[in-house]
Amino acid sequence: MTAVMTAPRPGFWIRLRTTILRHKIASLGAALVALVALAAMLAPWLSPHDPLEQNVVLRLMGPSADNPLGTDSFGRDILSRILWGGRVSLLVSTSAVGLAIVIGGALGLLAGYIGGAFDRVTMAAMDVLLSFPTLVMGLLVVAMLGPTVANLILAITLTAIAPFARIARAPTLAVKERDFVEAGRALGFSNLRIMGIHILPNIVDEILVMASLWLATAIRTEASLSFIGLGVRPPTATWGGMIREGFENILDSPWLAIFPSLAILVIMLGLNMLGDGLRDATDPRLRHE
Amino acid sequence: MSEALLEVEGLSKTFIARHGFLGTAAGHVRALSGISFSVRKGEAFGLVGESGCGKSTAGRAILRLIEPDTGHIRFKGEDVRAAGARRLRQLRRAIQIVFQDPYSSLNPRRTIGQTLSEPMAVHGLGSAAEIAAAVRAVLAEVGMPSDAAQKYPHEFSGGQRQRIGIARALVLQPELIVADEPVSALDVSIQAQILVLLRGLQERRHLSFIFISHDLGVVRHFCSAVAVMYLGHIVERGPVPAIFDEPLHPYTRVLRSASPVPDPKAKVIMAKLEGEIASALSPPSGCHFHPRCPHATEVCRRVYPEWVQVTPERGVACHLYPAAGSVPA
Amino acid sequence: MSKAPALVVEGLTTEFRIGGAWYPAVRNVSFSLARNETLALVGESGCGKSITALSIIGLVPKANGRVTSGRVLLDGRDLLRLDEAAMEKIRGNRIAMIFQEPMTSLNPVLPVGFQVAEALRYHTDLSPKAARERALQLLQHVKIPSAARRFDDFPHQFSGGMRQRVMIAMALACGPAVMLADEPTTALDVTIQAQVLALLAELKSETGMAMIFITHNLGVVASIADRVAVMYAGDIVELATVEELFAAPLHPYTEALLYSIPRVDRDAVDLKPIPGQVPPITAMPAGCRYAARCPYKMARCEREVPPLVAPAGAGGHLGRCWVRAGDGAGGHA
Repeated sequence: MTAVMTAPRPGFWIRLRTTILRHKIASLGAALVALVALAAMLAPWLSPHDPLEQNVVLRLMGPSADNPLGTDSFGRDILSRILWGGRVSLLVSTSAVGLAIVIGGALGLLAGYIGGAFDRVTMAAMDVLLSFPTLVMGLLVVAMLGPTVANLILAITLTAIAPFARIARAPTLAVKERDFVEAGRALGFSNLRIMGIHILPNIVDEILVMASLWLATAIRTEASLSFIGLGVRPPTATWGGMIREGFENILDSPWLAIFPSLAILVIMLGLNMLGDGLRDATDPRLRHE
Repeated sequence: MSEALLEVEGLSKTFIARHGFLGTAAGHVRALSGISFSVRKGEAFGLVGESGCGKSTAGRAILRLIEPDTGHIRFKGEDVRAAGARRLRQLRRAIQIVFQDPYSSLNPRRTIGQTLSEPMAVHGLGSAAEIAAAVRAVLAEVGMPSDAAQKYPHEFSGGQRQRIGIARALVLQPELIVADEPVSALDVSIQAQILVLLRGLQERRHLSFIFISHDLGVVRHFCSAVAVMYLGHIVERGPVPAIFDEPLHPYTRVLRSASPVPDPKAKVIMAKLEGEIASALSPPSGCHFHPRCPHATEVCRRVYPEWVQVTPERGVACHLYPAAGSVPA
Repeated sequence: MSKAPALVVEGLTTEFRIGGAWYPAVRNVSFSLARNETLALVGESGCGKSITALSIIGLVPKANGRVTSGRVLLDGRDLLRLDEAAMEKIRGNRIAMIFQEPMTSLNPVLPVGFQVAEALRYHTDLSPKAARERALQLLQHVKIPSAARRFDDFPHQFSGGMRQRVMIAMALACGPAVMLADEPTTALDVTIQAQVLALLAELKSETGMAMIFITHNLGVVASIADRVAVMYAGDIVELATVEELFAAPLHPYTEALLYSIPRVDRDAVDLKPIPGQVPPITAMPAGCRYAARCPYKMARCEREVPPLVAPAGAGGHLGRCWVRAGDGAGGHA
């Protein structure tokens, strides 16, 4: 009776190209992030030298053919250390943010859906967590439990849980009021099904935006902690640790501090652009054109 | 006369508005104050009224989407309020709901096929192939092409989405559908399409309806019996032609004469009706309609009128009709 | 009293940009509005009735809309030729508009009395005190109970119907010649709607103001209109007095619409729904835009757009239809 006339959906690559052209900033950000991530993951194959290999003769040398980014005060190749350091930074930040999304997101979704006393108590707990600046939390955890990678991840996760709980709760409250959720209850769906299948996919957008922005924060936090000496212990290469070491020679061998700083800059810039672009792309007003 | 499919008696619901961190109660909204009515098998029963009358709350209370405070709900003789979680789940197959807003009633992240097959899968009503066939069948029944199953809600118009919402209410083979303003958000020409669809479903499937609406014309067209609600009470109840052609309750009269009709010779009585619909937070004493009623007397201000069954079919709650038989039949 | 019309619209065409191309949302719309007349502009969503009003008062969103042709004559001036500064002097003064959604049409952070007085202060040279007094009179005139006490209340403290009355007071403040009312009662309860319609009728007869009332509800049209313009997909398809329209609808769309409305004053009859849907604005057919849904369609209907004319002997009752109005003499193109 009523004919539904819609054009056939264009192929995947065409849609991808249209998306990239429409969201240039997000695409550029995504490209930067992908570049850094790829470089870090392929570190074992890309690094010209062993990042831990010391060579006293070659210490504090500027960029050369053999050491494209120079060597540090122990003669280690900076490029290799940056690539390997990237692995630590990315490992710590993605684990921490991933854990925070799962724990915080679940708490926020539950609090928003269940409401009542559970909601009020949970959000109060989140407020307490939020009152700790990331660095202070990091200091506390590392000082009390020791400077291992696991503790670093724990510290950052703890500060990230509360924002993700909030960012999951607000849209849950809105989605909960929509008729299709009530329809689900009328059709006999369990609360678990409604939360997982009906509410969660509709709040994922906001969480993703937050995730990319928080990855940047996590990377910065890890670098900051390493910089003040509470991060991963040397001789493991980390960007923050490299900046710390480079600080001592900042006047005559500035490249020791500049290159790791640039690495942090690039990935944070990329993540911020990606996050901004995602926020625009998921704006519901722009979605259905 | 067929047996009552659904009987509602003395249903009440009060919402408590809460304030602040500790959730201290700040006000009570008496959404439903002891309403009673029954719906026969195959009948379309209308609930009409304006904002705040409680008709939507009543519809949801029957499904226990909102838990009533007091009262009885009997579906085919069974006490719905006493049903435990598992029995309620089974009962939910028999009583379904269609919503007003076609843009909010479908999950935008699920395809139509997923939305329609999910209820059947959850209740274990067949294999995947059988469910898929049932989805195709119900789509055809509501006048949608079968390739709609792969599409998402945003690819459809309001009227089409409403058809899909109706299809979703049908997949569990219900016997009673609560339709909450099912055509109010649609264009005039689409309204007629959906009304015809619903009528066809009613006839083919022997469905009963509780049809909630503020539009008397739509209710007159679709329903055979109607209850008029005002601020949580049913003020009048009976067969549709009688209620709309010879309303007894002053509010019904006002509602009827204020409803526009596409006939220039029957202009809306520019009512001498003053005043606003009172707030449900603090309804007037006695008969809630007395501040706006041209016939209000002292007793109306003090005492809420008893329900009087003036004929076996019609009842009214108004001091103008103190006893059965006080109205010429 | 002058016999000149209050407002004349000729050949109004407004286009919107969608996906890079411009499409007409209002096409060649023409009508005149006599003093103290209520013209109902009726149609379903997307027919262009709201855009017509916005085009008249110069509020078409400039980001992706434009009025491409036509004239709108008020007080002898073509409103479409005026610049924004000149239009601002006219809006709220000689021509006013009230909107559908009472929740959002008033500024929530300013008291209502202030908002009514604002219109007066902007367009007249009343002192602030005099403007306040006049604003209070207006609020009382639109029957806001305890207006003096509620003068400094905020919009959220009023119900929907009361907010609509405040909006009417603001619109009437400077005694406009023309009022554009865009579905002002659609979001209101039926009994409140009756009150607001009665109020509008009363105010109109007091001031001699003309009104264009936009609605999709043919019952409301029957109640308040003197003349009716039926719109479909951007065109006016029928123009008639309210009696003529309901007694003998000319255009098949009007006729079909009347048969598809359930009525509270008649026993249930079989509704005859109009099959199909309005074509999307980006894919309008050539020829008559209603042809695809019309039971009377001829070959010519799908090729050529019919003109809005009166069939022989039908006086001022115009229809845009090859089948019903043919090539009658006169009428608008």
